[in-house]
Order: sequence, then C-alpha cells, then structure tokens
Amino acid sequence: MSFLQNNIYYIGAFGLIMIGLLTVLVKHNLIKVIIGLSIMDTGINLFLIAIGYLRNGTAPIFSSPEVESILMVDPVPQALVLTAIVIGVAVLALALSLAIRLYKHFGTLDLHKIKELKW
Amino acid sequence: MVNPVLLIAVPLGLAFMVPLIDSASRKLTRFVPVAALLFNLILCIRLIPAVLENPIVINLGGFTPPFGINLFVGPLGLLFAGLISLAGLVVSIYSLSYIKNGPVVKYHMLYMLLLTGATGVVLTGDLFNLFVFFEILCISSYALVAYHGDRAGIESSIKYLIQGTVGSGLLLIGIGFIYGIFGTLNMADIAMKIATVEQSTLFVPMILMVAGLGVESAIFPLNAWLPDAHSSAPSSISAILSGIAIEVGLYAVARIVFTVFGISDIYLFFAFLGILTLLIGEMCAFAQSNIKRMLAYSSIGQIGLILFALALATNNTVTGGLFQLVNHTFSKGLLFLSAGYMIYRSGSMEISSLNGMGKRMPLTSLAFTVGAFSLVGLPPFAGFPGKFLIVSGALLKGEMVINILVGLVLLSTVIEGTYFFRVIQALYFKDGNGEQRKQAPATAVTAMIALMILIVALGVYPKFLADFLSSASSDLLDKMSYVGSVLK
Amino acid sequence: MTGMEILLLVAFGGVMLTYILGRISSSLRNTFAVVLSLVLVVIIALMYDKTGETIFYRGFFGIPMVLRINSLSWIFAMTISFIGCLSVIFSLDYMKVKERTSFFYAMLLLVNSSMMGIVLAGDLLTLFIFWEIMSWSTFLLISYNGGPAIAAGMKYIVMSFAGSMAMLAGIISIFTAFGTLQISEIAAGMSSASSGFKIFIVIVFGIAFGVKNAIWPFHAWLPQAHAEAPSPFSAVLSGVLIKMGVFGFILTMYVVVGLGTYMSLGGAIFSVRSILLVMGAITILVPTFVALLQDDAKKLLAWSTIAQAGYIMLGIAYGTSLSMAGGVLHFLSHVVFKSLLFMTVGAVEFRTGGIRDLNSLGGLIKKMPFAFTGTLIGVCGLIGVPLTNGFVSKWLIYKSLIFGSPLLTFVALFGTWGTVLYSYKLIHNIFLGQLPEKLKDVENTPLSMKLPMIILSFTVLLFGILPGLPLRVINKIVVSLGFDSLNISLWGIVSESGMLNMINLFAAILAGLIAVWLFLRIGARTIPVKQDDNYAAGAAVPRDRYNYTVKFYDPLLRMISPYLRDIFDTFYMKIADLTGYLSNGIRKIYTGYVGNYVMYIVLFISLMIFVQMKWSPW
Repeated sequence: MSFLQNNIYYIGAFGLIMIGLLTVLVKHNLIKVIIGLSIMDTGINLFLIAIGYLRNGTAPIFSSPEVESILMVDPVPQALVLTAIVIGVAVLALALSLAIRLYKHFGTLDLHKIKELKW
Repeated sequence: MVNPVLLIAVPLGLAFMVPLIDSASRKLTRFVPVAALLFNLILCIRLIPAVLENPIVINLGGFTPPFGINLFVGPLGLLFAGLISLAGLVVSIYSLSYIKNGPVVKYHMLYMLLLTGATGVVLTGDLFNLFVFFEILCISSYALVAYHGDRAGIESSIKYLIQGTVGSGLLLIGIGFIYGIFGTLNMADIAMKIATVEQSTLFVPMILMVAGLGVESAIFPLNAWLPDAHSSAPSSISAILSGIAIEVGLYAVARIVFTVFGISDIYLFFAFLGILTLLIGEMCAFAQSNIKRMLAYSSIGQIGLILFALALATNNTVTGGLFQLVNHTFSKGLLFLSAGYMIYRSGSMEISSLNGMGKRMPLTSLAFTVGAFSLVGLPPFAGFPGKFLIVSGALLKGEMVINILVGLVLLSTVIEGTYFFRVIQALYFKDGNGEQRKQAPATAVTAMIALMILIVALGVYPKFLADFLSSASSDLLDKMSYVGSVLK
Repeated sequence: MTGMEILLLVAFGGVMLTYILGRISSSLRNTFAVVLSLVLVVIIALMYDKTGETIFYRGFFGIPMVLRINSLSWIFAMTISFIGCLSVIFSLDYMKVKERTSFFYAMLLLVNSSMMGIVLAGDLLTLFIFWEIMSWSTFLLISYNGGPAIAAGMKYIVMSFAGSMAMLAGIISIFTAFGTLQISEIAAGMSSASSGFKIFIVIVFGIAFGVKNAIWPFHAWLPQAHAEAPSPFSAVLSGVLIKMGVFGFILTMYVVVGLGTYMSLGGAIFSVRSILLVMGAITILVPTFVALLQDDAKKLLAWSTIAQAGYIMLGIAYGTSLSMAGGVLHFLSHVVFKSLLFMTVGAVEFRTGGIRDLNSLGGLIKKMPFAFTGTLIGVCGLIGVPLTNGFVSKWLIYKSLIFGSPLLTFVALFGTWGTVLYSYKLIHNIFLGQLPEKLKDVENTPLSMKLPMIILSFTVLLFGILPGLPLRVINKIVVSLGFDSLNISLWGIVSESGMLNMINLFAAILAGLIAVWLFLRIGARTIPVKQDDNYAAGAAVPRDRYNYTVKFYDPLLRMISPYLRDIFDTFYMKIADLTGYLSNGIRKIYTGYVGNYVMYIVLFISLMIFVQMKWSPW
C-alpha cells in the first residue's frame, strides 16, 4: 500500500502517458489522435511536477524567516512544466488547425484513408 | 568581443519584427531573413579565432553553472551555427524569388524561427533549454511543411507533427528522469556526475532521449516522417530541413551520447544503426520515381553514414563525419534548390518529367549534377574528402566488424551513385518536350552558384575546413575539457 | 613548376576554355581544341626520357600528392595525347551535325586530361582522383547520344563505380597500413606485408582495373558502351581509356606488389599469376567468337577490343621480360589499329547517315577508298599480318608463351584464327560486294577524317617495319619493372627463343610481292565481267542486296553460338533486378499510416529496453 502511496503521482503520470500513446497507436480518427497527444502531454507534465514534489511541502518562497528550505518543493520542474504546457498548447493549436485543413482536402479524418504519401 | 547570444537573439527578435516590418514596407519583408542571417554569418566568422583558442561560455542572467542556463560556444557549436547561417542565407536568397504566393510574411517569420531554434540547439548547454529550442525548430518546421496548404503538404505536416510530438514527449520524459536522478539540467554538470550513478539506471533515460531526438534526426526506425515532409514542403524548406534540421537533430544525439552520457559501450550499436539507416535509405531512394522523395530518402542514407562515422568515435572518423555533414548540407541544399525550379518548370515531381531539362535550364541542371556528384562522393567535389576521411578512419580502427561495415558503406555508395546517375542521364540525354530555354530567376541562380562554388572549393582544398573540423571533433569527443570549460 | 604540372594545368585549363570558347564561336573552339591537343602532344614529347617526382599539392588534408614521370608513364601519356589529338581532329566533321558540341569537346578533352593525370600520378590518391574524374566524364560521353546509349552509359558507370569503390577500399587499406600513398614508398612497405594483405590488394585493384580493362568476367559493360558512344570517342575509349586498366595492372602487379612477390603470390595451383593468365586466355577465346556473331560494326569492334585486351593481359601477367615487352607493345599496337578501325567505321557511319548494320552495308570501296585502305591496314594489324605492328607484338607474346605454356599459346593462336574470320566479315560486309541502292550517293571521307586515318595507318606500318622504335622505350619500362633487358635493334629483337628481324622479312615480302606482280603482269588475262553475269547462276539477283553480306558465317555461328551466352552479363542484370526488387520491398515499410510510424518509435524503445533487461549488454 505504501508503494502505491509513495508513487501515486508517477503511476498516474505514466498511466496518462500510456493512455495517450495507446490512443495515438490504435485510434485512426485524427481528432482522437490529437486528444491522445494531449493526454500524453499532460502525463509528461504531471511526471515533471511529481519529480519535484514533496508531500506536505511548501512553496519555494522565503515568505518568512522560519520557512525551512528542506520543506520546499523543487521550483525548477514547475518552471519547466510552465514552458512545456505552452509548447503543448502551441502544438495542439497547430495540430487542430491542420486537422481542419485536412478535412477540407480529404473530406475525412480517418488516418487509414489519408495515405496518399507512402513508400 | 561580440556576444554569441546575439546569434540567437537577433534572428529571434527579427522574426517577430517581420509582421511589423511588413506593415511598414511590403517590399522589405523578404530581405529580413537575408539581413539577419548575413549578420549571423559575419558574427560566426568573427568568433572563429576566439573559439579556436578557448570555447566561450556565456552564463545567461549571470548565474554560474550548474545554476541557470548557459551557452557553450565551442568549435562544434560554432561550426553548426556557421553552417546554419550560411545555408540559411543561401536559401533565403533563393526564397526571394521562389516564395511569391501564399502567406509570405508567415513564411519568413517561421523560417527565421526555425533557424533560431536550430542555432539555439547547437549552442545551448542546458538540457531543458535544448528541448525548448528543439520544439521551436520542430513546430516551425511542421508549419512550414504545410506552407502550400495542398493535400500532400497538409497530410505530411500532420503526420510529421504526430511523430514529432511523440518524439519530443519521449525526450521530455528522458529529461525528467535525468533531472530526477541528478537534480540538475546543466549538461556539463550531468556529464561530471554521470559516473556516480550505476550505468543500468541511465539506460532508460538515455534510450528515451535518443529515441526522442532520433525522430528529428531520422535514425532508421524513427524516420518515417522524413520522406513525406521533405517531398511535400516547398523546395527551399526541403533544403533547410534536409540540410539543417536533421543535422541539428544528429548533433543533439551526438552531444547527448558523447558528452552527457559518454559511455563507449554503446557506440558500436550506433554504428550498426547508422549502417542500417544508410542501407535502407539508399535502397528506398533507389526505388523512387519521384525526384523529391528520392532526395529525401537519400538524406536518410547520408544521415546514416554520418551517424556511422560519428559512432566510431575517433578523431578521424568524427572529422570525416562532420565533413560529410557539411557536404550534405551544401549538396543536398543545392539538389533541392535546383530540383525546386525544375519541378516548377515541368510541373511534376516525376523523374521522367525532367527529361531534357539540361537543354531547358542548363545552369540549374548543372547545379543538380554538381550536387549529385558531390553527394555520391566523386572528386573533385566536396563529398570525396569526407568519404575518404570516414573510410580511412574506420579502417584505421582495424576491427573486422568495422571493416565489414565499411564494405557496406561502399556498397551503398554504389547504389546511391546508380540512382543519381539515372537522374543525370534523364536531365541531359533523354529527349523532353521541346519547351523554350528559360533560366531560373537571378536570385535562385545566385544561390545555386554560391553553393556550387563552395562545393568545388571544399572538394579541391579540403584542408581549408579540415583543421576547424578536427578541433570541432575533439570538442565533441573530449568530454573532460567540455566539463572543465563550463564548470571552471 | 615542372613540366608535368604545366601539362596538367594546360590540359585542365584548356577544358574550361574550350567550353567557354564554344559559347562564343564554334570555329574558334574547334581551332582551339586542335591546337590545345597538339600542344599537349608536344609537351609530352619534350618530356621524353625524363624521370622525376614532384609533390604538387598538399591541400588534401596534408597528404602529399605527387606527380611522377618515367618511361611507363611517358609511353602511356604519349599514346593518350596522340590518340586524343587525332580524335579531336576526327570530330571536326563528325560532330558538325550534332548538337551540344561544346559539351562534347570539353568532355573529350577532360577525359584525355584526366587520363594523363592517371598515368602521371605518383601516389594512389592522385591516381584515384583522376580515375574518378575520368569515370564520370566518360559516363557523360557514352550517354551523349541518348536512346540506347542511356542503358550503355548506366551499365558502364555502375560497373566502373563498383570497381572504383573496390579500389578506394584498397587504397585506404594501404594508407592505413603504411601511412603513405606514394607509389615509390608503398613498394617498400608491401614487401614486408602479409601475403593475405597482398592478395586482398591484388583482388580489389584487380576488380577496379579489370572492369576498366574489360577482362572477363568484368567485360559486360564494354560492347554496348563502345557501340553507342560517338565514334571519335569510341576510338579513345577502345584505344586508350580501357588501357588505363593495363596501366593499373602493371602498376599494381609489378610496382606496388613487386615482380618477385607477384610471381610467387598465392598457392601452387591457384596462384594469382595463373588465375590472371586463365582470365586472359578466356578473355581472348570467348569474345573473339562473340565478335563473329555481331551484326553491328561497332559492336564487332568492341568485342574484338575485349579479345585483344586478353592478349595484352596474357603478355603482362606472364611475367617474363619478353612477354612484358609483348604485352606493352601489343597495347601500343592495339591503340593504333583499333582507333584506326573505329575511325574508319565512324567515317562510314557518318557518310551513310548512321548505318552500322553489317547486313545493310557493302560495296563502299569505290565510294570511300580512303576508309577502305584504313580498314585494310587496321585489320591487317589486328590479325597480325607481317609488316604491321600487330605482327610484332603478337610474335613477342607467342614467343614468350610457347615454351612455358603451350596451351596458352594455342589459345592465343586459336583466337587469332577467330580474329581473321571476324576481320574479314568486317571489311567484306562494309566495303566489298555489291553497293546497295540507297548508298549510291555516299560521298568520300572528309579531310578531317582522312588525316587521322593516314597518320594511324602510317603508324601501323612504321611500327611493323621498324619495331625497334617503340621497343626501345618499352625496354626501358621492362628494365624499370625489374626484368632483364632485351636485345633490341631498330628492326627487330633477339631473344633466347628466336629472333625477329623485320628488315629481312620486309625484303622477303617485298621480293615475293614483286614476283607476284611480275607474274600477274606478264601472264594475266583479266576480263572484266559484270557481277550479275555469273552471280546466282543466271537467276534474278535481288537489286538491293548482295546475299553473302547477310548472315555471314551462318553455319559456323549456328554451331558455336549456344556456347557463347554471356552468363556474366545476365548475372549482373539479375543482380540489378534483384536490387530493384529488394528496394521495392523495403520501401513498403513506410506504409503511409501514421499509427504504424508511431508504432516503430514505440517498438524501437521497447526493443532496446527488452534487450537491455534480457541480456544487459550495456
């Protein structure tokens, strides 16, 4: 039980990543694939946060002299995640706009049917 | 001394200035990338003497490593930065006339962002910063591939995006692991601490990072996006993707494997992977009838060769690999640029539609021929010294396995020669339809002539670059001096 | 700056200048090309009997690149510039009707210049660089005519490129083993190398030079390439270009590996020497009879070229001073008479509007007497009729082989018999017999084509009557390669197995000819009869066809042709097909469905992790 407790964030993070990856692998509707990518992104962000997270930790701000630095969560992953989220949003937006154009051209979002470029 | 940060800052700033400049003067927009890259090129050249003496380490925001983000401008980084600005400059001159329709402003903006990302990747000394620049590079190339907005462009762009995003996700997971293990993101710091951790724990992050970066650098099983994207992008972008983007990916792989992890047990595996990539790329190219797809597969092959050379990890082979890399940037750039106008004229990408182009566009055909000969490695063009160095360095190792791999390299060169010679025959000796002779526009011709001169000059006098490349290769291989110069 | 550097500078500079001048005016370009090639002949002639080495370039990673001249390089360089000059002159009229002549001239001169670079190279790197320049420029020239020439050029470049890659492997192995590429220094290192390394070197260089020299089984590219190339270039191709392979063989076997080592290299039965001899013998035997089958004049000559390369190979590989002299002399003879033959056939092709088919030519002797005389002299040289250069060189080869290896001598003689047959077919079907109706208006050979023919015919006879002229230079080569010196006089040679005195022969033949002439003069009663009178026993003769020119030697050919299938050509084509098939299969992994692509990424990682967990190699 304590394994689960200690690693719940990691398990959650990798669960999300795997769900996302699986969606990308098995779904052939482009929108679902993009959703999968987004889920995967979320999982990765959670993973990064989990690395720096302390149970009962405080914000990494010396708001008063008695705050101990040992109890602070690591601020670096949070900064990373902010960047990663921004990047993720950009990719998502681009992907969705491409999906719209793709639908205009092909009349479908089924990736099995969008195979003009191959070999 | 000039500050190398400008190498990143100027194009980045100017990229976002493009819409403003465009609203002021429509004509000026096209010249912004030319100006920015010219500035970068001059800056790189001015930095050469200082960098050859000592690598320049810039601590952004004044935090000393391992805190904060630092830029590491060593010979290798400078080589890449110079290459990016040179190839970028030539291609931007080419685009002056090539890119006329469509969202021109966005093209120039994204083009500069792409090159900024590439420059950032090669100069940064911080893993996460590398990831960020990598994403800038990738996202702008996803968008640029779809520039024409046609069926092929959109399709390849979305496929590229899906694979690229999965790849960068993997890279980020790997970086997360590394941060979790070492508590730092500074590459030099990680490199120093790497010996304190058991090797087997490092395996998963390493393979995740290599796979993530491998998607962009087109290593064999991860490169399925490349033929689609390179063949459906505008030719100027194909030239940059082929000549810069995948090389930068390869740089990142090499930096991670050599400098950050630096464990030599795995090098031979990369050599095998390189040969596999080489053979598969060349064989797929052999079977193509679409000229741009053929060139794209040939890029995969060349990347395999360069990877093989780098993975042998001796000074000779790495120098040879870098030489081949420079040659590939120039030759493949030249090939895509010349093919671009030939396709524009004939209206089709089929090789058979290029029949008789030698009469209709003599100079462009000549450019294609020079590029092809150089890529195949025929003297007196730039491909030969590179191949010579790689093969001699590999044979110098004197191991039977590597000798056999060298045999495969030579075999694949024959295959590569075959499909390029086929195109050259089509250009010159097959009868096409009797269209009038009409050259490509002056700017495109200028760009192609510049590349041709570079290729011939490098082929005739390789020593010009060899000394610089050899210090770049020791920059890559000598982990201790990298660590030492960052964490003084 | 030595003569060699000036020579190469003039040669390569001239190539560019020729192309640029061609943009301005074609007559200016033609004059310049002729003058340039004459200048090259003069420069090389001035270098006679000089030896020396200079480092001319260090720009290639500091590896010294060396030029050297000695009697071996001189004789090759002389031949190249001589034939190059004549073929440029020959082209003047031949190329008038074609397009892109500037390209043709520039490439022709480039091929010649790079061949000079090859023979003057003092280190293997220089050799390889010029070798590759020669390969690709030749490729461009072979493909020049388009149509069937495309396939010919492709076959040539792929085989040649495979050969060069083998050579590159050899050169770089030498470089890594001895740290130097200078030919004069390698020889010292080679003597202490292991025999496995030596055999490796011999094999890789053998493939490279064998392909260029069209030694069986690497001959597959040659027939098409020779037939489809423009005729002036066919002369160069057959005359000198494939002889670069001979040069390479001499260089590898006797200079790099060394005479003593070469003779003892390999096992007792499968020694390198015996294998090369057998390859030479097969190269004589099979192509000679394949040549008989040909109906295309240039293809016939092409197969004959392969067969003659076999004689040269036999002479060189046998490894005595007499055979070496014979081999080199036969190279020289072959250059002269085969260029002559390609030029005469080219002249016929030019005047008849591109007809090379032996079945539809005939009776051109009255229309083109010059070409006929040239062909006659060339064919005599090819067969080895006394008083022609071919006689002397073949005599030397037979003489050196006859005691050591009677079987090889028999093969060589048997090959000569075949040579007689196909030579007769060539000259008969073009010039003798009945003139077809459509060729009634054929004009005489133009002057620019006559001139090279006269010069070459004269050379055939000169070297035939005074073999001492070339043999003196050849003797120097033979001595420099480590053989004993030969006893040579201006008109012949004395050896332990017999002597050759062309003056006596000349006198005897002259006396015989005078006797015959006198006899005919006194006793002849010639009545000119129209051909139709007795031909076909009074039956109606087809107007346009003289029956004997069609299906020449048919019974013989039906007998031998089943044995003459070109297995190796088929084999190479199969390999090409297989590569195409395999490539087509491999590219199917890029299925076009993006899910598969992501699957590859996931599989790659899982495979890595699986391997690591299972066997932990890292």
